[in-house]
Amino acid sequence: MKLEKIKEERKKNKLVFFIKDSDEVFANTLRRLVLEEVPTLAVEDLEIKDNNSALYDEMLGLRLGLLPLKTDLKSYTFKATCKCGGEGCARCELKINLKSSKKGYVYAEEAKSTDPKCTFVHEKMPVAKLLGKQKIDVQMTAVLGKGKNHSKWSPGFAFFKREPILNVGKVDDAESIAHLSSDGVFTIKGNKLSVNPEAVFDSQLLDYYVSLDKGITLEHTDNIIFSVESWGQLSCKEMLSTAMDIFIEKTEELEKLL
Amino acid sequence: MIIPIRCFACGKPVGHLLEEYQQRLEKGESAKKALDAVGLDRYCCRGVFLGHVELIDAAGEFKKG
Repeated sequence: MKLEKIKEERKKNKLVFFIKDSDEVFANTLRRLVLEEVPTLAVEDLEIKDNNSALYDEMLGLRLGLLPLKTDLKSYTFKATCKCGGEGCARCELKINLKSSKKGYVYAEEAKSTDPKCTFVHEKMPVAKLLGKQKIDVQMTAVLGKGKNHSKWSPGFAFFKREPILNVGKVDDAESIAHLSSDGVFTIKGNKLSVNPEAVFDSQLLDYYVSLDKGITLEHTDNIIFSVESWGQLSCKEMLSTAMDIFIEKTEELEKLL
Repeated sequence: MIIPIRCFACGKPVGHLLEEYQQRLEKGESAKKALDAVGLDRYCCRGVFLGHVELIDAAGEFKKG
């Protein structure tokens, strides 16, 4: 198996790479491990001391749970396997306080976390909106969890497809096809269509282009294009490496049981 | 009501992008351009913004401390 990076967008937290000499089975295993098994921190319990905002307690709680939290996997463990025996200690729980009585949006940055490394990822995320005389005061407890239990613990998004190759032969009306290509796959040079190979990877319209003219055909190679997108809790690389660590753990467990 | 924290379908956090999106619309940019600039690629996330109506202020009037 060979891996080859296609592009990395730091700003959008995206990573796209080739998996060569492998198959969909492996790619799907990796996808499911990223989505369901890689642990992250998220708010699980909360004590609402005061809330007379327009949002009901339940809605506020749900919104707080969905806020992504920067996760340091080395310094947190699952509550069930923690040395404290599930009572809750600094190694398995993170306490966060949110108190506001200012008019306007309450942003995630106003929350005070007891661990300066693990704060909410998006500072300008609106949690609630207050009018005059309204206030919220919430004490939250964040724990490590898995995406298969609740998607708030999912570290991001992962998907894959086979590498498409677009072959262009003789085309009747090159100009109109170039005009219909809204995602920049085709450009017209002189009287011939030229294909932009980078746009082909991202295009969702390839089947449509094939239906336009008999001269255009679509092939798929055995290479897999794998995309990972992080929601901010972990970096893309951390997501993939922990996913593979979990995979090794699982196979070792299977070996032992056999 | 209030802008959702995450996209309903894919789970991408979107709430923090609303203010920039609205500023861009006020400047006269088209919704397509504003959505692209804010970084919403998939149609699920774009739909969250296009269909959103901010009613939190109106709802807040009925719940005063």
